[in-house]
Amino acid sequence: MLKFLKKVGDYASEAAQAAKYIGQGLSVTFDHMQRRPVTVQYPYEKLVPSERYRGRIHFEYDKCIACEVCVRVCPINLPVVDYEYNKAARKKELKSYSIDFGVCIFCGNCVEYCPTNCLSMTEEYELSSYDRHDLNFDSVALGRLPYKVTDDPMVTPLRELAYLPKGEMDPHGVPDSARRAGLRPEEIIEKENAEAPVEVE
Amino acid sequence: MNLSEVVQLVSFGVLTLLMLGAALGVVLSPSVVYSAFLLGLTFSSMAGLYLLLNADFVAAAQILVYVGAVNVLILFGVMLVNKRQDYQRETGLLLRQLLTAVVCFGLFALLGTVTVITPWQLAEGVTQVDSSVIALAKHLFSDYLLPFEVASVLLLMAMIGAIVLARRDLLMEDPETGMPAETDLALPERPRETVVGE
Amino acid sequence: MSPGIDLQGSFIQLLTSLGLPPQLAKVVWIPLPLLLMLISATVGVLVVVWLERKVSAAAQQRVGPEYAGPLGTLQPVADGLKLLFEEDIIPAQADPWLFSIGPALVVVPVFLSYLIIPFGQNMNITDLGLGVFLWIALSSVAPVGLLMSGYSSNNKYSLLGGLRAAAQSISYEIPLALAVLAIVMMSNSLSTVDIVGQQSGYGILGWNLWRQPVGFLIFWVAALAECERLPFDLPEAEEELVAGYQTEYGGMRFALFYLGSYVNLILSALLVAILYLGGWELPVSVDWITSLLGLDPTTPWLQVITASLGIIMVVLKAYLLVFLAVLLRWTVPRVRIDQLLDLGWKFLLPVALVNLLLTAALKITFPAFFGG
Repeated sequence: MLKFLKKVGDYASEAAQAAKYIGQGLSVTFDHMQRRPVTVQYPYEKLVPSERYRGRIHFEYDKCIACEVCVRVCPINLPVVDYEYNKAARKKELKSYSIDFGVCIFCGNCVEYCPTNCLSMTEEYELSSYDRHDLNFDSVALGRLPYKVTDDPMVTPLRELAYLPKGEMDPHGVPDSARRAGLRPEEIIEKENAEAPVEVE
Repeated sequence: MNLSEVVQLVSFGVLTLLMLGAALGVVLSPSVVYSAFLLGLTFSSMAGLYLLLNADFVAAAQILVYVGAVNVLILFGVMLVNKRQDYQRETGLLLRQLLTAVVCFGLFALLGTVTVITPWQLAEGVTQVDSSVIALAKHLFSDYLLPFEVASVLLLMAMIGAIVLARRDLLMEDPETGMPAETDLALPERPRETVVGE
Repeated sequence: MSPGIDLQGSFIQLLTSLGLPPQLAKVVWIPLPLLLMLISATVGVLVVVWLERKVSAAAQQRVGPEYAGPLGTLQPVADGLKLLFEEDIIPAQADPWLFSIGPALVVVPVFLSYLIIPFGQNMNITDLGLGVFLWIALSSVAPVGLLMSGYSSNNKYSLLGGLRAAAQSISYEIPLALAVLAIVMMSNSLSTVDIVGQQSGYGILGWNLWRQPVGFLIFWVAALAECERLPFDLPEAEEELVAGYQTEYGGMRFALFYLGSYVNLILSALLVAILYLGGWELPVSVDWITSLLGLDPTTPWLQVITASLGIIMVVLKAYLLVFLAVLLRWTVPRVRIDQLLDLGWKFLLPVALVNLLLTAALKITFPAFFGG
């Protein structure tokens, strides 16, 4: 009998504990309701992509030597390099270059290995289209410069967390003049130069 | 004939037609699922007939018990055992059907004669019961107490029987080791807790 | 307790004074409250959908609908219109008849249950002697519709969802009915008007919540399970069953399911408000205030004010409960199917039975407090 009563008591206390935890959870959810929204209202507000953002790839036609390194380092041999060997000049002449961004995984290997730096990553990420074949960019499309978020009069540019002043969590309402936390890249270089003077050979 | 009587008559006709049609459908429909759904329609129209007789509690109970419980259970059964096998021609089908027809017709004749010979006392001054719930309760707990209790005992027995059948606590002990043996009843991914531990 | 205003009586009186026979006047009256209820239930759904979106957004630190109308209030209307104009599709291998009847069979009982919701002493469609029992009976029809749509979709996810939904609503109907039974035992009537009447007179202290705290919790949990709201939304669990029995549905038929689930949520909230939170009663008794101010409770303008306050109170209580349901949705994770059935059969059912027995015992011992 006592054992049975103990069982009932244990069960009741477990139920009460469960109810308590649900109550605590409810209070957490309720507390969240009075916090400011953290979301970015996308078409009207846009985040400024970071410096290392790996967006759509930019290609400079004139720099390319058609070496095909980008094809070799690409995980799926994606870039299509069409060239003709000019025997007189003993040079490859590039005829067309294209990357299909419907297939690209934006790993950045091609940019890393390009010997002439004709490939570079941009901050453009809005690549939606009605037809997936529109994502197959040829050399002309690849050569277009990305549109800067800060130049768009319709868009309120917002800074990412890493570019906000110290202690600031919400990009809304932070003035443009407010400096980001930490040192800027050029300042880091300056500091390093000051600490270790450049050795002259 | 005033308005309410016309409405009653029309609803009686519609409900009767609906009930008879649905009941015929239950028997004649080749698909078991259709039969089950039509059975629900039959029960519902019966509830409508109860409503016409001013028995609102009985009508609601009819919906709750027959449509909500019995019919759903039948549907469950049909859907869990939905084997797509073709109807097999059995030998002596004609004889069976004939036998069934005779039995059914006999039952129908019996019921028919009972309805005809029973003196239905259509009392002139039907007392208007203001709440059928209270009237029913009074009957249930006075002159119908024994049937009520017997029915509840029957239901209890059925419940215990169902639990005994559904409970699979058979622990096959391995005769050599004395440990509970693997049975086919155990689920492959999650072993059942053994009752030995208690 | 003042009877309040009797709209039906006044309307019939008006028509008979115009020369109509009383019976015909009553026939003219009948569709009016039905239509009003249908419209108000639909508007209520629009409000709840908007509320759910906004509260969910706030709980997740989002903004929610913002551009359709002021504060996004027209978003549910936009949703509805979009569903209305969607193409009507019946899957090729589906059963067209059952596929079409299923959603209707789910929605119609829910709307019918609004028959018993009172917003005031005479502010209801009918004061049936059957009361809450009608609701329990009608809500047991919905599983048939769910099974029907699950079966006819010819999709394994739909079938599983339909079976789950039916199993869930059958299991949780029993604790629900037992919790209601305890209330009915205390108020000696199934009628919702009588149940509220029994709670009136003492303001907030007279509400059934204090006499039936366990029953209140059981009812609320079981009602959430009946509505397939989130800790118990297994039948349409996106992660496992795509959308359960709604998988193959689109357009207006899907809209019926959507409407039905939200109407059911409001209905459950309204019933909790009526059964446990004193219905149209204010937290402070109206009779007490009027006697304090020395007013005659039969004054017409006072009656209008009391009646509208009563409607506001019922709706306010119901929407508070809906808010709680939305909050619960973002707090509690979904239970597993075996946990769901365990909770229903092994926890709620015994507790509801004990609650019923306790209520009976208390009613005999303290008839003054627990309704003699």
